[in-house]
Amino acid sequence: MAGPPLLDRRLLLVTGKGGVGRSSVAAALALLGARRGKRVLVCEVNAQERVAPLLGAAPAGAEVRQALPGVWTVDVTPESAMREYGLMVLKYRTIYEAVFENRVVKYFLRVVPSLAELVMLGKVLHEVRAEERGQPRWDLVIVDAPATGHAVQLLRTPGALLDTVPAGPLRRDAQWMHDLLLDPAHTTVALVTLPEEMPVNEAIELDEQLRVLVGIPRGCLIVNAVPEPRFAAAERAGLQAMEADPPPLGAAARAAVLQGLRAELAARQVARVRAAIDLPVLVLPLLAAARWDRSAVERLADACDQGGAPWARSP
Amino acid sequence: MGALALSLRDKRIAVCVGSGGVGKTTVAAAIALARAAEGGKVLVCTIDPARRLANALGLASLGNVESRVPDHAFREAGLHPAGELFAMMLDVKRTWDDLVARHAPDRARRERIYQNRLYQQLSGALGGSQEFMAMEKLYELATERDYDLVVLDTPPTAHALDFLDAPDRILDFLGNETARALLLPALSAGKLGLRVFQLGGAYVARTLARFTGGEVLNDLSDFLQGFHGMYEGFERRAGVVRALLAQPDVGFVLVSSAAPLAVDEALMFHERLHAESMPVAGAVANRVTVPLTEPGAPLPDAGRLREALGRRDPGGLAERLAATLAEHELLAAADAREVARLFEAVGAPGVVIPRLESDVHDLGGLHRLAEHL
Repeated sequence: MAGPPLLDRRLLLVTGKGGVGRSSVAAALALLGARRGKRVLVCEVNAQERVAPLLGAAPAGAEVRQALPGVWTVDVTPESAMREYGLMVLKYRTIYEAVFENRVVKYFLRVVPSLAELVMLGKVLHEVRAEERGQPRWDLVIVDAPATGHAVQLLRTPGALLDTVPAGPLRRDAQWMHDLLLDPAHTTVALVTLPEEMPVNEAIELDEQLRVLVGIPRGCLIVNAVPEPRFAAAERAGLQAMEADPPPLGAAARAAVLQGLRAELAARQVARVRAAIDLPVLVLPLLAAARWDRSAVERLADACDQGGAPWARSP
Repeated sequence: MGALALSLRDKRIAVCVGSGGVGKTTVAAAIALARAAEGGKVLVCTIDPARRLANALGLASLGNVESRVPDHAFREAGLHPAGELFAMMLDVKRTWDDLVARHAPDRARRERIYQNRLYQQLSGALGGSQEFMAMEKLYELATERDYDLVVLDTPPTAHALDFLDAPDRILDFLGNETARALLLPALSAGKLGLRVFQLGGAYVARTLARFTGGEVLNDLSDFLQGFHGMYEGFERRAGVVRALLAQPDVGFVLVSSAAPLAVDEALMFHERLHAESMPVAGAVANRVTVPLTEPGAPLPDAGRLREALGRRDPGGLAERLAATLAEHELLAAADAREVARLFEAVGAPGVVIPRLESDVHDLGGLHRLAEHL
């Protein structure tokens, strides 16, 4: 979609089903942004915090907290977002506290469809818009957005509200949120998947939902943990025969056969998802790491910084 | 018979729990197949099976219908189970409708609920709904059928604990007296409450209407009125369902991959089960990279492998083999650490399913997986 390079936008939503490495990719992109001198905020949404720990920092909780030079994180929860948003709207803390006792707030957050989503999205988008001394508070806000049914609902909320809410402060809020989400100059989505059958199925479905139901600019598809093809087809038959050899050759041959098979299956899935989704594709290699920690995320950030990547610097 | 199958031998219900993306559905189907092979009459209740697995189990498009996997399907896979395998896909909406029909005092009330927009959303998509219905369906299957084993797959959620927590959230949603007290007076036209509580209620309702639109609150009010009087029935039912999960003939199976986050989720679930005295039958670590060399033995370098290859080395094979083996063992070591973390905490039998065996699309694949259980 036309617009500035993806990391130069203000809001980057990293989405994908559970288990694809979404949080690692979000952390890697945050590192990449910081390397380019940006002030980056990573928002997790009502989650068991992952991004700060991946970067070797303490979890932030509901208050924005710096993880590294250039990178801050926060966990946006319905309760904290509701309180902030409610206070903004109602203006008087005493009234808010008198009326919105916790029990009641919790009930309504659960019960009223999309209310939790609305306030969390509102919190995120307010951070995107926030300014300090006339400058944007953040150069880039990355949202680690799990692609459950909720995520699509989350993004649809402002649009849905425009259909039902009469003129007034809430409608105005819904309007600017809707406009910001759909503006390719400011917003983009990176879909993350794995080179495996079910994740690819889910990515295809998610892409369609985002395109058809939400209309948010979709920037790229990231296929994570792709083993590189390392052994030619001709070699692989010979390697299979070598598995019977005594160690260490037998073991090495077995590792190679497994790697070759995995790479072949992965290549098939990458081809399938490229054919099905009309987006630039970034392939991230499978990284063997003793521990999935900050150095692993730095390596992932290096892999994201390839030439031809959807956020490569324009020449 | 593997450690997990042995542990499940005396169980009539097996519940597979774990975070999304670890292969729960496949493991659930494999557990069911393993018991059916031994001679039981077994049902696997899936939530969201991949199309090919669904086809393999004969689950084309039927919801909430228990269909038998036909003999010829087994024969074609070269299998001869001593028992029978049935499979079904949970239809959340239909299960809700059945539950409402069971509790509604009359047809008119039932229809009013069915028509309510909030009910339609809830029964389709509201968080917790799938979990609540999975439990409800499990109870029905356990008490009204004669299976030797019912294996329940659970919904793919970010938080494995949703399976236990979500039903309570839904129940609270249905019966919350505070909400009814707040909403009903406020929505009576033109009433200004005279007492502080009512005033608060009206204020809350009006304020929320600013957030959500008035229509939603009307729907909610109508919904709550629809469910009025039925809540106790739901609560009682949910209570017996929960009690069912603490019976000795129930076994929870913690399914995880070797990914640290999946293990974290499984361990959180385990703690909860322990706290609620719910029986854990075992743990499954799925898609694990298993080591190919002896622990502690130094890995061969390219030179050593070139020697071993002799004349079989065209350009660069030895280097690539050395690098690939090193990578493999690194991944295997990382996985082994996570698997150990999981198994040490769980205590009940743990089984490892190697990565290759996890790619399952048909009965033959399920059988290969089942052999590890």
